[in-house]
Amino acid sequence: MKTATIFEIKRFAVHDGDGIRTTVFFKGCPLRCRWCHNPEGIGREAQLAFYAHKCISCGECLPACENGAHGMQEGMHVFDRGACVACGACADHCLGNALTFFGKTVTISELMPLLLEDTDFYHTSGGGVTLSGGECLIQADFCAALLRELKHEGIHTAVDTCGFVSRTALNKVIPYTDIFLYDLKAYDEDVHIACTGQSNKIILENLTYLDACGKQIEIRIPYVPGYNADQMEKMATFLASLQQISRVRVLPYHNYAGSKYEALGMQSTLPADLPTDEEIRAAEECLRAHGLRV
Amino acid sequence: MMIKHPFPHLSQVDREWIENKYHKVDEEFDPFRRMAYHGYEYDAATGMTDEEINHGLATLANELRDQPRPLIKASMVAYVLDHTRIDVNAHDDFVGIYSWGRLIDPYTVDPWYQEIRESVAAELGNRYYTELEEAGLGWIRLDFDHAVPDWDSLAALGFPGLLARLEASYRAKKESGTLTEKQEIFYQATHLEYEAILRLLSRMHRYASRQPFARAGRVAQSLANLLAGAPQTTHDMLQLMYLYFMISECVGHYQVRSLGYGLDGTLYPFFKRDLENGRATREELTALIACFLLQFSAMGNYWGQPFYLGGTGADGRTKVNELSHLILQIYDALGLYNPKIQIKVSKTTPRDFLNKALAMVKGGSTSIVFCNEEVIVKAMMSGGATYEEACDAVVKGCYEYAVKADSIPISYNMINALKPIVLVFHNGRDPRTGLMLGCETGDVTSFIDFAQFYNAYRAQLACVIDKTMVWVERLERHVHEVNPALFYSGTVPRCVESLTDAMDGGVHNVTDMWFSGFGSAVDALMAVYELVFEKGVTTLAALKEALDRNWEGYEPLRLRALACRHKYGRGDSMADAYACALHRFFSSRFAGKKNCHGGNIEYELHSARAYLAMGDATEATPDGRRTGEETSKNASPSNGADSAGVTALIRSATSLDLSLADSGACLDCMLHPSALQGEGGLDVLYGVLRTYHDRGGASIHFNIFSADMLRDAQQHPEKYQALQVRVCGWNVLWNNLEKREQDAFIKRAEGIAP
Repeated sequence: MKTATIFEIKRFAVHDGDGIRTTVFFKGCPLRCRWCHNPEGIGREAQLAFYAHKCISCGECLPACENGAHGMQEGMHVFDRGACVACGACADHCLGNALTFFGKTVTISELMPLLLEDTDFYHTSGGGVTLSGGECLIQADFCAALLRELKHEGIHTAVDTCGFVSRTALNKVIPYTDIFLYDLKAYDEDVHIACTGQSNKIILENLTYLDACGKQIEIRIPYVPGYNADQMEKMATFLASLQQISRVRVLPYHNYAGSKYEALGMQSTLPADLPTDEEIRAAEECLRAHGLRV
Repeated sequence: MMIKHPFPHLSQVDREWIENKYHKVDEEFDPFRRMAYHGYEYDAATGMTDEEINHGLATLANELRDQPRPLIKASMVAYVLDHTRIDVNAHDDFVGIYSWGRLIDPYTVDPWYQEIRESVAAELGNRYYTELEEAGLGWIRLDFDHAVPDWDSLAALGFPGLLARLEASYRAKKESGTLTEKQEIFYQATHLEYEAILRLLSRMHRYASRQPFARAGRVAQSLANLLAGAPQTTHDMLQLMYLYFMISECVGHYQVRSLGYGLDGTLYPFFKRDLENGRATREELTALIACFLLQFSAMGNYWGQPFYLGGTGADGRTKVNELSHLILQIYDALGLYNPKIQIKVSKTTPRDFLNKALAMVKGGSTSIVFCNEEVIVKAMMSGGATYEEACDAVVKGCYEYAVKADSIPISYNMINALKPIVLVFHNGRDPRTGLMLGCETGDVTSFIDFAQFYNAYRAQLACVIDKTMVWVERLERHVHEVNPALFYSGTVPRCVESLTDAMDGGVHNVTDMWFSGFGSAVDALMAVYELVFEKGVTTLAALKEALDRNWEGYEPLRLRALACRHKYGRGDSMADAYACALHRFFSSRFAGKKNCHGGNIEYELHSARAYLAMGDATEATPDGRRTGEETSKNASPSNGADSAGVTALIRSATSLDLSLADSGACLDCMLHPSALQGEGGLDVLYGVLRTYHDRGGASIHFNIFSADMLRDAQQHPEKYQALQVRVCGWNVLWNNLEKREQDAFIKRAEGIAP
């Protein structure tokens, strides 16, 4: 695979593994987590987000669109999503930062210079490059090739995965990945299906497999009241049985992504309830009680 | 003013007392009004009121009017020292000088400075001096604000020893028959000041000895030691530093920079000896140092008092010692923001020391500056300093470095890099004053390519610099006549040996050229390139019209200007290349050149508060800035231009060879608190600092804020009494900022991704 579809390159990413990192977000995800905070990463196809509240009705996007998706009515900008083919041409012209294009096609030779720009920051802070998404391993061939290039340059690599990928895909990246940031949403299959639309059988098997391979793994558990909050004990027990878990992070669910769903014209599935600090502390305590580093 | 962190070594009552020493804390305080305040009243029997002293000075001025100026100034200083009320009290380890409002100024510096300005104006036939500032193009100022005395001499000799050294030098000159009239005057005047200082010490000693409380006994002992000769204890040395500061800065009109040659360096021999001799416990010394630092914090002057911590000796060993750690701990525990700590960072800096300082930054101690020692050495050596001198560099201002005991700035002049863009649009005529302050570069609407515009900008900038330098040179010829630096010169071996005032060539006389609005100027150039010549979305004529109308009716064009791709601070190759060119252009105007006293002309990428004042007077510019809005500051990008994040910001800043800024450059770095959360947060901060320095960055300081927090602080000041922000070369409490300054901070924080 010579190209990949990505939706963002985030520099100074300090929450996607240790140190200062650059994170590449790949488009497309096999899960449909109700709380997904990156809805622009779900679909494999390119998308245009329109943040109506940022639009200043300057009209700059009109001539940039060949399909008439942008128009003006009584001095106000109107967006016809039906006419939009998500080519992204308008986003470059938007003066109010109201239009954002998600779904750039990139090659490895385009990405590498960008990822190497911050190499010295990676080295001084113990950071590196993280591949995330969506689910980056949907584009496993590209990821493997990119990771190989990064390792060749001496860059620390992390792969953030939901684990719902084929063993073949996983095997492709294992040799070039220093740490897996592995998402765990639930232990019980029915709960997992209710939360994500998919069984977690493959996910648990892949995690066990990675552990057996001796790969360093950091577990990330989104804590979502009303969905997986009662799964902590079971997940902790399971994780305690593994050997390579360097730490477990509990990620409190937040609903900041609401405006993104709207901007993308997607139906929001975000839960209403937010976790309290006490709930998060209790979840972390539960993990610690099983000897896990939090 | 101060922050009420509990501190076990100093009682809350003592802390409040010290706070009230310099201004009444229940009254409104303006950190920009120099020494304008009195705190609690002193014992009336100890001396005169300010009014009475003023009256005496007026009479004296009349009597002395035919005397040489050094003698007039020395007599005036002596009069204040002889008559000021003094204080020793149960809450303070340091004495009090009541008349600290530079009372001699109306009879000395003020009229003498005015006279020189008028005479230069007559000589040159223009008033460029004032026009430059009115137009927001820059300022020209003789410098009495960045003097670092020879702390080594002060520590080794004390006031009596300095006087004896002066007398010995005088005798030698006299005996050799080489004494000139000028030297005789310098000697008499300096002698007069030092004698007055010893009389003041005697007066204070007698007063302290009469007080019944134990603390007065300790103060009396420190004064007795200082009267007898060199300081013996930590208390003596701190008392001496404090007295030097108060007399020089608050009576003699020379701002004192750098508390010691590194507070940890100058103080350490005393500290160590006290502990070894059992003269004081660690706790007692901790309380003493805390009490000393609190004096400066309580004064609350916006410009602050800097001092270095750490550094590397010429022998390659770190200068960080146990006292460096202790000073950081005290500073942290007291929650101070003034005096200002500048840490000299190099590969020898112990990681635990650096981590402690970074943890303090993370916790809100934003006043700490991290300087790159390697760049300091490089910059100073290219100005002629030896390796040893460069390793021993002292901090003489917000970030500026200097050779210790051998250099003093005689003028500091500002050039606003952005305003010459406006001159290009008006063919050299300033639209604000209507005066021809630049040069003719042609009708901008006729320019056919970007090169023509760019060259016109360079020509305007060069013209402004050249005109400025004519005035600077003329003023500098007379600098010693405006404000003789007697007290200062008495500390410096070279001045004493030659019996020459430091400002008259007694040491190297340095001209400082500061550059403000650097990032804004690059962005403005890039906007012309992109909008007019690359994309062709407007013409120079239409852009001129938009700027003349302060963008009114041209909002879409202004938004396009703001949205331009090429801006300094986001790692953009083209913008960074122009930034490098501008930086080199400025540096090359002065590199290797000497002022009329044979001293270096040094370039500094530092704007102080000029980014506000110059912004005020600068019309709308092509980068989308409206009339009156602030410009960029220091080596930093304009507000919002660093949209590609901190790593790109650092790439841009370090694309400049910052060692070309002879006496310093600083980058302002704002980070979102969430970026530094957790145990990995320190690694992230360290990574940013280390990479900046490894890439050749100079000074850097951090503000750790979210926009939400700042908005809340603006609405609920009462909740944020302790919130301090690094403004430019200094820190202030958030609540002391003007609203527009707060707004600018909030705007900047909005651009920092969580």
